Amino acid sequence: MDFSPLTDALASKSYEKIADICDDLMLKVAAEGIVFQDEWPYVIHLLGYYYVNDINSARFLWKSIPSTIKDSRAEVVAAWKIGQHLWTRDYAGVYDAIRGFDWSQEAQALVAAFSELYTKRMFQLLMSAYSTISTQDTALFLGMNEDDAAYYVQQQGWTLDPASRMLTVKKQPLVTEQKLDPSKMQCLTEYVFHLEH
Amino acid sequence: MQSIENLVTQIQGLSSNASDITALKDYLKAAEDLLRSESTRLLSFLDQLDPSKHSLVINVCKRYKDQVLLLEAPIRGVGPMLTAIRKIQSSTEHLTTLHPEFLQLCLLAKCYKAGLSVLEDDIYEINLPRDFFLYCYYGGMIFIGQKRFRKALELLHNVVTAPMSSINAIAVEAYKKYILVSLIHHGQFSSTLPKYTSSAAQRNLKNFSQPYMELVNTYNTGKIAELETYVQTNREKFESDNNLGLVKQVVSSMYKRNIQRLTQTYLTLSLQDIANTVQLNSSKEAEMHVLQMIQDGEIFATINQKDGMVRFLEDPEQYKTCEMIEHIDSSIQRIMSLSKKLTAMDELISCDPLYLGKAGRERQRFDFDDFDSVPQKFNI
Repeated sequence: MDFSPLTDALASKSYEKIADICDDLMLKVAAEGIVFQDEWPYVIHLLGYYYVNDINSARFLWKSIPSTIKDSRAEVVAAWKIGQHLWTRDYAGVYDAIRGFDWSQEAQALVAAFSELYTKRMFQLLMSAYSTISTQDTALFLGMNEDDAAYYVQQQGWTLDPASRMLTVKKQPLVTEQKLDPSKMQCLTEYVFHLEH
Repeated sequence: MQSIENLVTQIQGLSSNASDITALKDYLKAAEDLLRSESTRLLSFLDQLDPSKHSLVINVCKRYKDQVLLLEAPIRGVGPMLTAIRKIQSSTEHLTTLHPEFLQLCLLAKCYKAGLSVLEDDIYEINLPRDFFLYCYYGGMIFIGQKRFRKALELLHNVVTAPMSSINAIAVEAYKKYILVSLIHHGQFSSTLPKYTSSAAQRNLKNFSQPYMELVNTYNTGKIAELETYVQTNREKFESDNNLGLVKQVVSSMYKRNIQRLTQTYLTLSLQDIANTVQLNSSKEAEMHVLQMIQDGEIFATINQKDGMVRFLEDPEQYKTCEMIEHIDSSIQRIMSLSKKLTAMDELISCDPLYLGKAGRERQRFDFDDFDSVPQKFNI
Protein backbone atom coordinates (compact mmCIF):
# COMPACT_ATOMS: atom_id res chain seq x y z
CA MET A 1 0.00 0.00 0.00
CA ASP A 2 1.40 3.32 -1.03
CA PHE A 3 0.94 5.71 1.84
CA SER A 4 3.19 8.42 0.43
CA PRO A 5 0.49 11.13 0.00
CA LEU A 6 -0.36 10.59 3.66
CA THR A 7 3.21 10.67 4.96
CA ASP A 8 3.88 13.77 2.86
CA ALA A 9 0.90 15.56 4.34
CA LEU A 10 1.95 14.61 7.85
CA ALA A 11 5.51 15.75 7.24
CA SER A 12 4.39 19.10 5.84
CA LYS A 13 1.85 19.49 8.67
CA SER A 14 -1.03 19.88 6.21
CA TYR A 15 -3.30 18.28 8.76
CA GLU A 16 -6.50 19.63 7.25
CA LYS A 17 -5.91 17.46 4.19
CA ILE A 18 -5.45 14.19 6.07
CA ALA A 19 -9.13 13.20 6.14
CA ASP A 20 -9.60 13.56 2.37
CA ILE A 21 -6.31 11.83 1.59
CA CYS A 22 -7.23 8.89 3.83
CA ASP A 23 -10.73 8.62 2.30
CA ASP A 24 -9.42 8.58 -1.27
CA LEU A 25 -6.65 6.14 -0.40
CA MET A 26 -9.07 3.80 1.35
CA LEU A 27 -11.41 3.62 -1.64
CA LYS A 28 -8.49 3.07 -3.99
CA VAL A 29 -6.99 0.30 -1.89
CA ALA A 30 -10.37 -1.36 -1.35
CA ALA A 31 -11.06 -1.35 -5.09
CA GLU A 32 -7.89 -3.30 -5.64
CA GLY A 33 -9.30 -6.00 -3.41
CA ILE A 34 -6.50 -5.75 -0.90
CA VAL A 35 -7.41 -6.66 2.66
CA PHE A 36 -6.23 -3.41 4.17
CA GLN A 37 -7.88 -3.31 7.55
CA ASP A 38 -4.99 -4.76 9.55
CA GLU A 39 -2.50 -2.19 8.37
CA TRP A 40 -4.80 0.76 7.99
CA PRO A 41 -3.75 3.89 9.97
CA TYR A 42 -7.13 4.27 11.69
CA VAL A 43 -5.68 6.52 14.38
CA ILE A 44 -4.43 9.06 11.85
CA HIS A 45 -7.67 8.73 9.85
CA LEU A 46 -9.84 9.46 12.89
CA LEU A 47 -7.64 12.35 14.03
CA GLY A 48 -7.81 13.75 10.51
CA TYR A 49 -11.61 13.88 10.79
CA TYR A 50 -11.47 15.58 14.21
CA TYR A 51 -9.09 18.16 12.79
CA VAL A 52 -11.65 19.27 10.20
CA ASN A 53 -14.50 18.81 12.68
CA ASP A 54 -16.20 16.03 10.71
CA ILE A 55 -17.37 13.89 13.62
CA ASN A 56 -20.12 12.29 11.50
CA SER A 57 -17.60 10.64 9.20
CA ALA A 58 -15.46 9.65 12.19
CA ARG A 59 -18.46 7.82 13.65
CA PHE A 60 -19.08 5.93 10.44
CA LEU A 61 -15.40 5.02 10.18
CA TRP A 62 -15.45 3.67 13.74
CA LYS A 63 -18.53 1.59 12.92
CA SER A 64 -16.77 0.05 9.96
CA ILE A 65 -13.65 -1.02 11.87
CA PRO A 66 -13.64 -4.81 12.40
CA SER A 67 -14.01 -5.85 16.05
CA THR A 68 -10.76 -7.83 15.93
CA ILE A 69 -8.91 -4.58 15.36
CA LYS A 70 -10.89 -2.81 18.07
CA ASP A 71 -9.83 -5.59 20.47
CA SER A 72 -6.18 -5.70 19.53
CA ARG A 73 -5.22 -2.07 18.87
CA ALA A 74 -5.59 0.02 22.00
CA GLU A 75 -4.50 3.22 20.28
CA VAL A 76 -7.44 3.01 17.87
CA VAL A 77 -9.84 2.69 20.79
CA ALA A 78 -8.14 5.60 22.54
CA ALA A 79 -8.42 7.71 19.38
CA TRP A 80 -12.13 6.95 19.17
CA LYS A 81 -12.59 7.98 22.81
CA ILE A 82 -11.69 11.50 21.76
CA GLY A 83 -14.34 11.31 19.05
CA GLN A 84 -16.93 10.02 21.48
CA HIS A 85 -16.44 13.03 23.73
CA LEU A 86 -16.54 15.36 20.72
CA TRP A 87 -19.80 13.74 19.61
CA THR A 88 -21.50 13.98 23.02
CA ARG A 89 -20.06 17.50 23.41
CA ASP A 90 -18.35 16.57 26.63
CA TYR A 91 -16.00 19.51 26.17
CA ALA A 92 -13.76 18.78 29.11
CA GLY A 93 -13.73 15.04 28.47
CA VAL A 94 -11.99 15.59 25.14
CA TYR A 95 -8.88 16.80 26.94
CA ASP A 96 -8.97 13.85 29.31
CA ALA A 97 -9.12 11.50 26.34
CA ILE A 98 -6.25 13.30 24.62
CA ARG A 99 -4.05 13.17 27.70
CA GLY A 100 -5.16 9.73 28.90
CA PHE A 101 -3.06 7.80 26.42
CA ASP A 102 0.56 7.42 25.58
CA TRP A 103 0.42 8.14 21.85
CA SER A 104 2.74 6.46 19.38
CA GLN A 105 5.40 8.54 17.71
CA GLU A 106 3.54 8.85 14.39
CA ALA A 107 0.37 10.01 16.09
CA GLN A 108 1.94 12.43 18.55
CA ALA A 109 2.37 15.42 16.26
CA LEU A 110 -1.19 15.17 14.95
CA VAL A 111 -2.65 14.74 18.43
CA ALA A 112 -0.74 17.78 19.67
CA ALA A 113 -1.85 19.85 16.67
CA PHE A 114 -5.46 18.82 17.17
CA SER A 115 -5.29 19.61 20.87
CA GLU A 116 -4.06 23.12 20.10
CA LEU A 117 -6.71 23.64 17.44
CA TYR A 118 -9.44 22.38 19.74
CA THR A 119 -8.37 24.78 22.49
CA LYS A 120 -8.58 27.66 20.01
CA ARG A 121 -12.02 26.51 18.85
CA MET A 122 -13.23 26.30 22.44
CA PHE A 123 -11.90 29.77 23.12
CA GLN A 124 -13.81 31.12 20.10
CA LEU A 125 -16.94 29.41 21.36
CA LEU A 126 -16.57 30.90 24.84
CA MET A 127 -16.00 34.32 23.36
CA SER A 128 -19.16 34.17 21.26
CA ALA A 129 -21.39 32.48 23.83
CA TYR A 130 -20.54 34.03 27.20
CA SER A 131 -20.51 37.52 28.63
CA THR A 132 -19.23 36.31 32.00
CA ILE A 133 -17.95 32.90 32.99
CA SER A 134 -16.30 31.38 36.05
CA THR A 135 -12.58 30.60 35.96
CA GLN A 136 -13.45 27.06 36.93
CA ASP A 137 -15.56 26.48 33.83
CA THR A 138 -13.10 28.32 31.61
CA ALA A 139 -10.40 25.96 32.85
CA LEU A 140 -12.56 22.96 31.96
CA PHE A 141 -13.32 24.27 28.48
CA LEU A 142 -9.72 25.12 27.71
CA GLY A 143 -8.19 22.03 29.27
CA MET A 144 -5.92 23.99 31.58
CA ASN A 145 -5.76 24.55 35.31
CA GLU A 146 -7.53 27.66 36.60
CA ASP A 147 -4.48 29.89 36.81
CA ASP A 148 -3.23 29.02 33.33
CA ALA A 149 -6.69 29.48 31.90
CA ALA A 150 -7.08 32.87 33.57
CA TYR A 151 -3.70 33.94 32.24
CA TYR A 152 -4.51 32.70 28.72
CA VAL A 153 -7.77 34.62 28.44
CA GLN A 154 -6.38 37.75 30.06
CA GLN A 155 -3.80 37.82 27.29
CA GLN A 156 -6.76 38.11 24.93
CA GLY A 157 -8.19 41.07 26.77
CA TRP A 158 -10.57 39.45 29.25
CA THR A 159 -10.78 40.83 32.76
CA LEU A 160 -10.74 38.84 35.98
CA ASP A 161 -12.59 39.67 39.17
CA PRO A 162 -10.43 37.85 41.72
CA ALA A 163 -13.04 38.00 44.45
CA SER A 164 -15.72 36.10 42.59
CA ARG A 165 -13.34 34.22 40.27
CA MET A 166 -15.42 35.51 37.39
CA LEU A 167 -14.04 36.41 34.00
CA THR A 168 -15.59 39.07 31.82
CA VAL A 169 -15.36 38.23 28.17
CA LYS A 170 -13.99 40.71 25.72
CA LYS A 171 -15.76 40.26 22.43
CA GLN A 172 -13.57 40.63 19.42
CA PRO A 173 -15.46 42.60 16.79
CA LEU A 174 -15.91 40.50 13.69
CA VAL A 175 -13.82 41.94 10.92
CA THR A 176 -15.68 41.07 7.80
CA GLU A 177 -14.71 42.01 4.33
CA GLN A 178 -16.79 44.97 3.27
CA LYS A 179 -14.86 46.29 0.35
CA LEU A 180 -17.22 45.85 -2.49
CA ASP A 181 -16.17 44.75 -5.89
CA PRO A 182 -17.80 47.32 -8.23
CA SER A 183 -18.54 44.70 -10.89
CA LYS A 184 -20.70 42.77 -8.40
CA MET A 185 -22.73 45.87 -7.71
CA GLN A 186 -23.10 46.32 -11.46
CA CYS A 187 -24.43 42.74 -11.77
CA LEU A 188 -26.93 43.23 -9.00
CA THR A 189 -28.13 46.53 -10.40
CA GLU A 190 -28.68 44.88 -13.76
CA TYR A 191 -30.68 42.02 -12.19
CA VAL A 192 -32.96 44.41 -10.37
CA PHE A 193 -33.43 46.52 -13.51
CA HIS A 194 -34.19 43.35 -15.49
CA LEU A 195 -36.71 42.11 -12.95
CA GLU A 196 -38.55 45.38 -12.79
CA HIS A 197 -39.05 45.61 -16.53
CA MET B 1 -4.76 -11.28 -18.40
CA GLN B 2 -5.30 -12.99 -21.69
CA SER B 3 -8.96 -13.92 -21.31
CA ILE B 4 -10.05 -10.53 -20.00
CA GLU B 5 -8.52 -8.91 -23.05
CA ASN B 6 -10.42 -11.35 -25.24
CA LEU B 7 -13.56 -10.35 -23.41
CA VAL B 8 -12.90 -6.69 -24.05
CA THR B 9 -12.29 -7.24 -27.76
CA GLN B 10 -15.45 -9.30 -27.97
CA ILE B 11 -17.45 -6.53 -26.32
CA GLN B 12 -15.99 -3.93 -28.61
CA GLY B 13 -16.58 -6.06 -31.69
CA LEU B 14 -20.05 -7.34 -30.95
CA SER B 15 -21.66 -4.14 -29.73
CA SER B 16 -22.11 -2.74 -33.17
CA ASN B 17 -25.51 -4.21 -34.06
CA ALA B 18 -28.56 -5.74 -32.39
CA SER B 19 -28.14 -9.41 -33.32
CA ASP B 20 -24.57 -9.37 -32.14
CA ILE B 21 -25.69 -7.97 -28.81
CA THR B 22 -27.61 -11.15 -28.00
CA ALA B 23 -24.54 -13.18 -28.88
CA LEU B 24 -22.55 -10.90 -26.63
CA LYS B 25 -25.00 -11.42 -23.77
CA ASP B 26 -24.53 -15.15 -23.99
CA TYR B 27 -20.81 -14.72 -24.14
CA LEU B 28 -20.89 -12.51 -21.05
CA LYS B 29 -23.03 -14.99 -19.14
CA ALA B 30 -20.45 -17.67 -19.81
CA ALA B 31 -17.72 -15.30 -18.81
CA GLU B 32 -19.31 -14.57 -15.45
CA ASP B 33 -16.89 -16.77 -13.57
CA LEU B 34 -14.05 -15.01 -15.24
CA LEU B 35 -15.52 -11.64 -14.26
CA ARG B 36 -15.83 -12.81 -10.69
CA SER B 37 -12.20 -13.72 -10.38
CA GLU B 38 -10.97 -10.73 -12.25
CA SER B 39 -13.28 -8.25 -10.57
CA THR B 40 -10.33 -6.45 -9.11
CA ARG B 41 -8.95 -5.56 -12.51
CA LEU B 42 -12.31 -4.43 -13.82
CA LEU B 43 -11.50 -0.79 -13.26
CA SER B 44 -8.63 -0.66 -15.73
CA PHE B 45 -10.63 -2.46 -18.37
CA LEU B 46 -13.58 -0.14 -18.00
CA ASP B 47 -11.25 2.53 -19.36
CA GLN B 48 -10.95 0.65 -22.60
CA LEU B 49 -14.66 0.42 -23.22
CA ASP B 50 -16.41 3.44 -24.65
CA PRO B 51 -19.66 3.46 -22.67
CA SER B 52 -21.76 5.20 -25.27
CA LYS B 53 -21.28 2.23 -27.55
CA HIS B 54 -21.34 -0.56 -25.05
CA SER B 55 -24.64 -0.58 -23.20
CA LEU B 56 -23.78 -3.86 -21.60
CA VAL B 57 -21.21 -2.04 -19.50
CA ILE B 58 -24.12 -1.30 -17.17
CA ASN B 59 -24.92 -4.98 -16.84
CA VAL B 60 -21.29 -5.74 -16.14
CA CYS B 61 -21.22 -3.11 -13.41
CA LYS B 62 -24.38 -4.46 -11.84
CA ARG B 63 -22.94 -7.96 -11.77
CA TYR B 64 -19.81 -6.52 -10.19
CA LYS B 65 -21.86 -4.86 -7.51
CA ASP B 66 -23.67 -8.10 -6.73
CA GLN B 67 -20.34 -9.88 -6.45
CA VAL B 68 -18.97 -7.29 -4.12
CA LEU B 69 -22.03 -7.60 -1.89
CA LEU B 70 -21.73 -11.37 -1.88
CA LEU B 71 -18.19 -10.99 -0.66
CA GLU B 72 -19.53 -8.69 2.09
CA ALA B 73 -17.03 -6.05 1.14
CA PRO B 74 -19.17 -3.24 -0.29
CA ILE B 75 -16.33 -0.76 0.12
CA ARG B 76 -14.52 -2.50 -2.73
CA GLY B 77 -17.16 -1.43 -5.18
CA VAL B 78 -17.36 2.23 -4.22
CA GLY B 79 -14.34 3.52 -6.14
CA PRO B 80 -14.89 1.60 -9.41
CA MET B 81 -18.62 2.34 -9.42
CA LEU B 82 -17.96 6.05 -9.11
CA THR B 83 -15.54 5.90 -12.05
CA ALA B 84 -18.08 3.93 -14.06
CA ILE B 85 -20.75 6.56 -13.41
CA ARG B 86 -18.49 9.40 -14.52
CA LYS B 87 -17.63 7.48 -17.67
CA ILE B 88 -21.20 6.56 -18.59
CA GLN B 89 -22.93 9.83 -17.96
CA SER B 90 -23.17 12.22 -20.85
CA SER B 91 -22.96 15.12 -18.38
CA THR B 92 -23.08 15.63 -14.63
CA GLU B 93 -26.80 16.37 -15.03
CA HIS B 94 -27.46 12.88 -16.30
CA LEU B 95 -28.76 10.19 -13.95
CA THR B 96 -27.63 6.71 -14.94
CA THR B 97 -28.89 3.32 -13.78
CA LEU B 98 -25.68 2.99 -11.83
CA HIS B 99 -26.40 5.98 -9.57
CA PRO B 100 -28.72 4.14 -7.16
CA GLU B 101 -26.42 1.09 -7.18
CA PHE B 102 -23.52 3.32 -6.22
CA LEU B 103 -25.46 5.03 -3.44
CA GLN B 104 -26.52 1.67 -2.08
CA LEU B 105 -22.88 0.58 -1.92
CA CYS B 106 -21.94 3.82 -0.16
CA LEU B 107 -24.63 3.22 2.45
CA LEU B 108 -23.56 -0.36 3.05
CA ALA B 109 -19.88 0.52 3.16
CA LYS B 110 -20.62 3.56 5.36
CA CYS B 111 -18.74 5.76 2.90
CA TYR B 112 -21.30 8.53 3.11
CA LYS B 113 -18.87 11.23 2.02
CA ALA B 114 -18.22 9.44 -1.28
CA GLY B 115 -21.94 9.38 -1.96
CA LEU B 116 -22.15 13.12 -1.43
CA SER B 117 -19.95 13.86 -4.44
CA VAL B 118 -22.61 12.36 -6.70
CA LEU B 119 -25.55 13.79 -4.79
CA GLU B 120 -24.27 17.36 -5.14
CA ASP B 121 -24.93 17.28 -8.90
CA ASP B 122 -28.30 18.60 -10.04
CA ILE B 123 -30.14 16.09 -12.19
CA TYR B 124 -31.97 17.09 -15.37
CA GLU B 125 -31.82 13.93 -17.47
CA ILE B 126 -33.10 10.54 -16.43
CA ASN B 127 -33.09 7.19 -18.21
CA LEU B 128 -35.64 5.31 -16.13
CA PRO B 129 -38.03 6.73 -13.50
CA ARG B 130 -37.20 3.74 -11.31
CA ASP B 131 -33.57 4.87 -11.18
CA PHE B 132 -34.62 8.27 -9.92
CA PHE B 133 -36.95 6.74 -7.35
CA LEU B 134 -34.20 4.62 -5.79
CA TYR B 135 -31.65 7.42 -6.18
CA CYS B 136 -33.87 9.72 -4.13
CA TYR B 137 -34.47 7.10 -1.45
CA TYR B 138 -30.82 6.18 -0.95
CA GLY B 139 -29.76 9.79 -1.37
CA GLY B 140 -32.20 10.84 1.31
CA MET B 141 -30.69 8.29 3.68
CA ILE B 142 -27.17 9.50 2.97
CA PHE B 143 -28.16 13.12 3.65
CA ILE B 144 -29.82 12.01 6.90
CA GLY B 145 -26.56 10.32 7.89
CA GLN B 146 -24.69 13.57 7.23
CA LYS B 147 -27.41 15.52 9.06
CA ARG B 148 -28.24 17.59 6.01
CA PHE B 149 -31.93 17.46 6.70
CA ARG B 150 -33.11 20.05 4.21
CA LYS B 151 -31.66 18.11 1.27
CA ALA B 152 -32.91 14.84 2.77
CA LEU B 153 -36.45 16.24 2.87
CA GLU B 154 -36.21 17.28 -0.78
CA LEU B 155 -35.24 13.81 -1.92
CA LEU B 156 -37.64 11.94 0.35
CA HIS B 157 -40.42 14.23 -0.86
CA ASN B 158 -39.68 13.05 -4.40
CA VAL B 159 -39.98 9.42 -3.38
CA VAL B 160 -43.28 9.95 -1.59
CA THR B 161 -44.87 11.98 -4.40
CA ALA B 162 -43.54 9.83 -7.25
CA PRO B 163 -46.10 8.44 -9.68
CA MET B 164 -47.10 4.93 -8.68
CA SER B 165 -50.06 2.77 -9.52
CA SER B 166 -49.98 0.96 -6.20
CA ILE B 167 -48.27 1.57 -2.91
CA ASN B 168 -44.84 0.02 -2.45
CA ALA B 169 -42.58 -0.63 0.53
CA ILE B 170 -39.95 1.93 -0.46
CA ALA B 171 -42.51 4.73 -0.52
CA VAL B 172 -43.79 3.70 2.91
CA GLU B 173 -40.30 3.63 4.45
CA ALA B 174 -39.49 6.94 2.82
CA TYR B 175 -42.68 8.44 4.23
CA LYS B 176 -41.77 7.34 7.78
CA LYS B 177 -38.35 8.97 7.49
CA TYR B 178 -39.97 12.01 5.86
CA ILE B 179 -42.17 12.48 8.91
CA LEU B 180 -39.22 12.21 11.32
CA VAL B 181 -36.89 14.49 9.36
CA SER B 182 -39.70 17.01 8.98
CA LEU B 183 -40.12 17.12 12.75
CA ILE B 184 -36.37 17.48 13.29
CA HIS B 185 -35.86 20.16 10.67
CA HIS B 186 -39.09 22.16 10.75
CA GLY B 187 -40.50 21.24 14.13
CA GLN B 188 -43.77 20.38 12.43
CA PHE B 189 -45.29 18.02 9.97
CA SER B 190 -48.19 18.56 7.61
CA SER B 191 -49.93 15.37 6.62
CA THR B 192 -51.50 16.82 3.48
CA LEU B 193 -49.59 15.63 0.47
CA PRO B 194 -49.31 17.83 -2.61
CA LYS B 195 -51.86 17.47 -5.43
CA TYR B 196 -49.43 15.75 -7.74
CA THR B 197 -49.01 12.78 -5.38
CA SER B 198 -50.40 9.52 -6.73
CA SER B 199 -53.80 8.51 -5.39
CA ALA B 200 -52.33 5.21 -4.22
CA ALA B 201 -49.95 7.13 -1.98
CA GLN B 202 -52.61 9.58 -0.79
CA ARG B 203 -54.87 6.76 0.30
CA ASN B 204 -52.40 4.35 1.86
CA LEU B 205 -49.26 6.00 3.21
CA LYS B 206 -50.81 7.15 6.45
CA ASN B 207 -52.30 3.75 7.19
CA PHE B 208 -48.91 2.09 7.03
CA SER B 209 -47.22 4.63 9.29
CA GLN B 210 -49.63 4.85 12.22
CA PRO B 211 -47.01 4.95 15.03
CA TYR B 212 -45.32 7.85 13.28
CA MET B 213 -48.55 9.82 12.88
CA GLU B 214 -49.13 9.31 16.61
CA LEU B 215 -45.60 10.57 17.25
CA VAL B 216 -46.45 13.76 15.37
CA ASN B 217 -49.53 14.28 17.54
CA THR B 218 -47.52 13.75 20.72
CA TYR B 219 -44.82 16.10 19.44
CA ASN B 220 -47.38 18.80 18.80
CA THR B 221 -48.46 18.83 22.44
CA GLY B 222 -45.03 20.34 23.20
CA LYS B 223 -44.73 18.18 26.32
CA ILE B 224 -41.36 16.51 26.50
CA ALA B 225 -42.35 13.96 29.15
CA GLU B 226 -45.26 12.69 27.05
CA LEU B 227 -43.06 12.43 23.99
CA GLU B 228 -40.38 10.48 25.83
CA THR B 229 -42.97 8.09 27.28
CA TYR B 230 -44.47 7.52 23.85
CA VAL B 231 -41.06 6.78 22.36
CA GLN B 232 -40.25 4.35 25.17
CA THR B 233 -43.54 2.46 24.76
CA ASN B 234 -43.14 2.12 21.00
CA ARG B 235 -39.39 1.65 21.01
CA GLU B 236 -39.47 -1.77 19.37
CA LYS B 237 -41.54 -0.60 16.41
CA PHE B 238 -39.10 2.22 15.70
CA GLU B 239 -36.14 -0.08 16.19
CA SER B 240 -37.42 -2.68 13.75
CA ASP B 241 -37.79 0.09 11.15
CA ASN B 242 -34.20 1.13 11.86
CA ASN B 243 -35.50 4.55 12.77
CA LEU B 244 -34.70 4.66 16.48
CA GLY B 245 -31.71 6.98 15.98
CA LEU B 246 -33.88 9.44 14.06
CA VAL B 247 -36.62 9.23 16.67
CA LYS B 248 -34.11 10.13 19.38
CA GLN B 249 -33.07 13.13 17.31
CA VAL B 250 -36.75 14.12 17.15
CA VAL B 251 -36.87 14.11 20.95
CA SER B 252 -33.78 16.30 21.32
CA SER B 253 -35.13 18.62 18.64
CA MET B 254 -38.11 19.30 20.87
CA TYR B 255 -35.86 20.76 23.58
CA LYS B 256 -34.39 23.00 20.91
CA ARG B 257 -37.81 24.09 19.63
CA ASN B 258 -38.96 24.93 23.12
CA ILE B 259 -35.86 26.99 23.82
CA GLN B 260 -36.18 28.75 20.47
CA ARG B 261 -39.78 29.63 21.25
CA LEU B 262 -38.56 31.40 24.40
CA THR B 263 -36.49 33.79 22.29
CA GLN B 264 -39.69 35.11 20.78
CA THR B 265 -41.07 36.12 24.15
CA TYR B 266 -38.11 37.08 26.30
CA LEU B 267 -35.07 39.31 25.97
CA THR B 268 -33.37 37.83 29.00
CA LEU B 269 -34.24 34.79 31.03
CA SER B 270 -32.58 33.02 33.91
CA LEU B 271 -31.04 29.61 33.32
CA GLN B 272 -33.24 28.21 36.07
CA ASP B 273 -36.39 29.51 34.34
CA ILE B 274 -35.25 27.97 31.08
CA ALA B 275 -34.67 24.65 32.84
CA ASN B 276 -38.16 24.80 34.37
CA THR B 277 -39.99 25.81 31.20
CA VAL B 278 -38.26 23.29 28.98
CA GLN B 279 -38.34 20.57 31.64
CA LEU B 280 -34.61 20.10 32.07
CA ASN B 281 -33.19 18.84 35.34
CA SER B 282 -30.92 21.72 36.28
CA SER B 283 -29.77 25.15 35.26
CA LYS B 284 -26.42 23.62 34.33
CA GLU B 285 -28.20 21.33 31.84
CA ALA B 286 -30.02 24.34 30.45
CA GLU B 287 -26.69 26.15 30.11
CA MET B 288 -25.22 23.24 28.14
CA HIS B 289 -28.26 23.09 25.85
CA VAL B 290 -28.07 26.81 25.13
CA LEU B 291 -24.31 26.57 24.58
CA GLN B 292 -24.72 23.76 22.07
CA MET B 293 -27.40 25.69 20.21
CA ILE B 294 -25.11 28.71 20.06
CA GLN B 295 -22.32 26.49 18.76
CA ASP B 296 -24.61 25.13 16.02
CA GLY B 297 -25.87 28.57 15.08
CA GLU B 298 -29.45 27.69 16.03
CA ILE B 299 -29.77 30.57 18.44
CA PHE B 300 -28.13 33.94 19.07
CA ALA B 301 -27.53 34.50 22.75
CA THR B 302 -24.95 35.17 25.43
CA ILE B 303 -24.77 33.42 28.76
CA ASN B 304 -23.99 35.45 31.83
CA GLN B 305 -22.79 32.99 34.45
CA LYS B 306 -22.35 35.64 37.13
CA ASP B 307 -26.07 36.37 37.17
CA GLY B 308 -27.16 33.00 35.83
CA MET B 309 -28.95 34.72 32.95
CA VAL B 310 -29.18 34.31 29.21
CA ARG B 311 -29.63 37.28 26.96
CA PHE B 312 -31.25 36.56 23.60
CA LEU B 313 -29.87 38.52 20.68
CA GLU B 314 -30.90 39.42 17.17
CA ASP B 315 -29.30 37.71 14.22
CA PRO B 316 -26.12 39.77 13.75
CA GLU B 317 -26.15 39.23 10.00
CA GLN B 318 -26.33 42.62 8.34
CA TYR B 319 -26.30 41.34 4.78
CA LYS B 320 -23.63 43.89 4.01
CA THR B 321 -20.60 41.72 3.52
CA CYS B 322 -18.81 40.62 0.36
CA GLU B 323 -19.59 37.03 1.27
CA MET B 324 -23.30 37.73 1.30
CA ILE B 325 -23.15 39.42 -2.09
CA GLU B 326 -21.31 36.42 -3.52
CA HIS B 327 -24.00 34.21 -2.07
CA ILE B 328 -26.83 36.27 -3.57
CA ASP B 329 -25.00 36.47 -6.87
CA SER B 330 -24.51 32.73 -7.20
CA SER B 331 -28.12 32.07 -6.14
CA ILE B 332 -29.38 34.43 -8.85
CA GLN B 333 -27.15 32.76 -11.45
CA ARG B 334 -28.50 29.35 -10.47
CA ILE B 335 -32.09 30.52 -10.68
CA MET B 336 -31.49 32.11 -14.07
CA SER B 337 -30.05 28.90 -15.50
CA LEU B 338 -32.89 26.91 -13.91
CA SER B 339 -35.37 29.31 -15.48
CA LYS B 340 -33.81 28.79 -18.90
CA LYS B 341 -34.01 25.02 -18.47
CA LEU B 342 -37.66 25.23 -17.47
CA THR B 343 -38.48 27.36 -20.51
CA ALA B 344 -36.75 24.82 -22.75
CA MET B 345 -38.68 21.96 -21.14
CA ASP B 346 -41.91 23.89 -21.44
CA GLU B 347 -41.32 24.37 -25.17
CA LEU B 348 -40.56 20.68 -25.60
CA ILE B 349 -43.72 19.62 -23.82
CA SER B 350 -45.81 22.09 -25.80
CA CYS B 351 -44.78 20.27 -28.94
CA ASP B 352 -45.42 16.79 -27.53
CA PRO B 353 -48.31 15.15 -29.41
CA LEU B 354 -49.58 13.41 -26.25
CA TYR B 355 -49.87 16.70 -24.45
CA LEU B 356 -51.44 18.48 -27.43
CA GLY B 357 -53.99 15.69 -27.71
CA LYS B 358 -55.06 16.10 -24.08
CA ALA B 359 -54.95 19.90 -24.11
CA GLY B 360 -56.90 20.05 -27.38
CA ARG B 361 -59.73 17.97 -25.93
CA GLU B 362 -60.12 20.28 -22.98
CA ARG B 363 -59.99 23.53 -24.92
CA GLN B 364 -63.06 25.65 -24.53
CA ARG B 365 -65.03 27.03 -27.41
CA PHE B 366 -64.04 30.61 -28.00
CA ASP B 367 -66.38 33.48 -28.72
CA PHE B 368 -65.76 35.70 -31.68
CA ASP B 369 -64.79 38.47 -29.27
CA ASP B 370 -61.88 36.45 -27.92
CA PHE B 371 -59.97 36.75 -31.14
CA ASP B 372 -58.14 39.96 -31.70
CA SER B 373 -58.70 41.73 -34.91
CA VAL B 374 -55.73 40.50 -36.86
CA PRO B 375 -56.20 40.21 -40.61
CA GLN B 376 -56.87 36.65 -41.81
CA LYS B 377 -53.71 36.25 -43.77
CA PHE B 378 -51.57 36.52 -40.59
CA ASN B 379 -53.31 33.62 -38.86
CA ILE B 380 -51.18 30.53 -38.99
